[in-house]
Amino acid sequence: MLFLSQLINGLQLGSIYALVALGYSMVYGIIMLLNFAHGDIIMMGGYFALVAFAATTNPVLAIIATIVGCVVLAVVIEKVAYKPLRQAPRISLLITAIGVSLFLQNLAQLIWTANTRAFPSTEIIPAITFNVGGLSISLNIIVTICVSVLSMVLLAFIVQKTKMGKAMRAVSEDTEAAQLMGINVNNTITYTFIIGSALAGIGAILYCCRYPIVNPTMGSLLGLKAFVAAVLGGIGSIPGAMIGGFAIGLAEVFVTSIGLSAWTDAVVFAVLIVVLLIKPTGFMGASMTEKV
Amino acid sequence: MLKVDDIHVYYGNIHAVKGISFHVDEGEIVSLIGANGAGKSTILKTISGILRAKSGNISFLGQDISKTEAHKIVRQGLAHVPEGRRIFLKMTVMENLEMGAFTRKEVSKADIEMVFERFPRLKERQSQIAGTLSGGEQQMLAMGRALMSHPKLLMLDEPSMGLAPLLVEQIFDIIKTLHNAGTTILLVEQNAGMALEIADRAYVLETGRIILSGTGAELSQSEEIKRAYLGG
Repeated sequence: MLFLSQLINGLQLGSIYALVALGYSMVYGIIMLLNFAHGDIIMMGGYFALVAFAATTNPVLAIIATIVGCVVLAVVIEKVAYKPLRQAPRISLLITAIGVSLFLQNLAQLIWTANTRAFPSTEIIPAITFNVGGLSISLNIIVTICVSVLSMVLLAFIVQKTKMGKAMRAVSEDTEAAQLMGINVNNTITYTFIIGSALAGIGAILYCCRYPIVNPTMGSLLGLKAFVAAVLGGIGSIPGAMIGGFAIGLAEVFVTSIGLSAWTDAVVFAVLIVVLLIKPTGFMGASMTEKV
Repeated sequence: MLKVDDIHVYYGNIHAVKGISFHVDEGEIVSLIGANGAGKSTILKTISGILRAKSGNISFLGQDISKTEAHKIVRQGLAHVPEGRRIFLKMTVMENLEMGAFTRKEVSKADIEMVFERFPRLKERQSQIAGTLSGGEQQMLAMGRALMSHPKLLMLDEPSMGLAPLLVEQIFDIIKTLHNAGTTILLVEQNAGMALEIADRAYVLETGRIILSGTGAELSQSEEIKRAYLGG
């Protein structure tokens, strides 16, 4: 029974990591950028939710405002910081992403101070617990898992079936050939950022409902762990990001449950080192061979 | 239909195309031939907007396209089948064709049927991942994909590259059929013999310059061409 409840707990955390990892992986797939500001978009999302909820006291409006806020922020960052570097070496883009990350953390500190704030998690998802055959499951866990899975199904549909999703795959595989098809590469990149940051907005709410605090540096560790999840699954691969996210979430919860809670972060990053040593392409990553 | 006027193209400091001018009239097959590094592919990439000319003009159907973005040029009816085919290897054959129709409002069944009629092998393999196709099939897919945009001018970059002689014959037969159906064709080839045989006119390039031009028949008789490109 303990095992089962830890499993569910791990799935909850894993589904949040998966949502965040998807944003990393999609952006990497399309412009080969490790967007290290992605975790900080989630931190900003946490503040957007706080501010919006304080202003409206309506959870639905707060959620919508958070998602919209994250999308607008990510699109502005892409246009201002990343787009001018389209032809620049990849290292410049990477350094810029780290710069954006630091900028967002300091911006949040400037606006909302460095103090940790309580997040009204129970106002957004009521603290109800169900008892299923001796197993107690909170509404929070159920909502998190359902919302994440639904978002991922929707994402899979968009990427596999819609015209824009197919264009995203085409650009990610061969930007030049995609242009020759008449695909507007800049618009496609913008769409990718919109989808990735909408998932980040959803992730922000769910993460804050699990750990109900918000502070300016909360995004860095979350972002790094989601990055590990994306690498584990195979960076650039959408199913890989989902699998990697769940794997990291479960690993973290089980390491905690055997009494090594101080070691959870170490285990996550040990996973990164092992993956990079043994299988740098991750579970689902494409190998770098080319057919001539 | 297509007019290229004194274009210069650079890769960083390398002056790859040094003042090239040529034209393609409606209904023609025009070939650009020349050795590796002569600048043939660079010229096609510049026409389709992937590369930018440092100076010079390119006009298509009377409109200046030298500053137009690549994705808008396709919409004007100019399709480019790039060197090395560049099909989307991770997508299915059908999805590749859909990408070819990206500029159109919807993927019309009739267009897909038209491509399958010309390339029956693609119909058999429509739900297969494109990366699993053979070289010849990939070339057919690349051409079929370009046809989905209803091009007025089709630019083909080395369609015979890496293919067995029998397949080369087949690809050139298809080019002739497309031409007879009313598509204007600009062909870049290292296979000078085949390229001159089907061309109305041809230009010979060497290190970024045009050194000779004339009708396909004239050039295939020229002693200089025979010595340099036709092996005898």
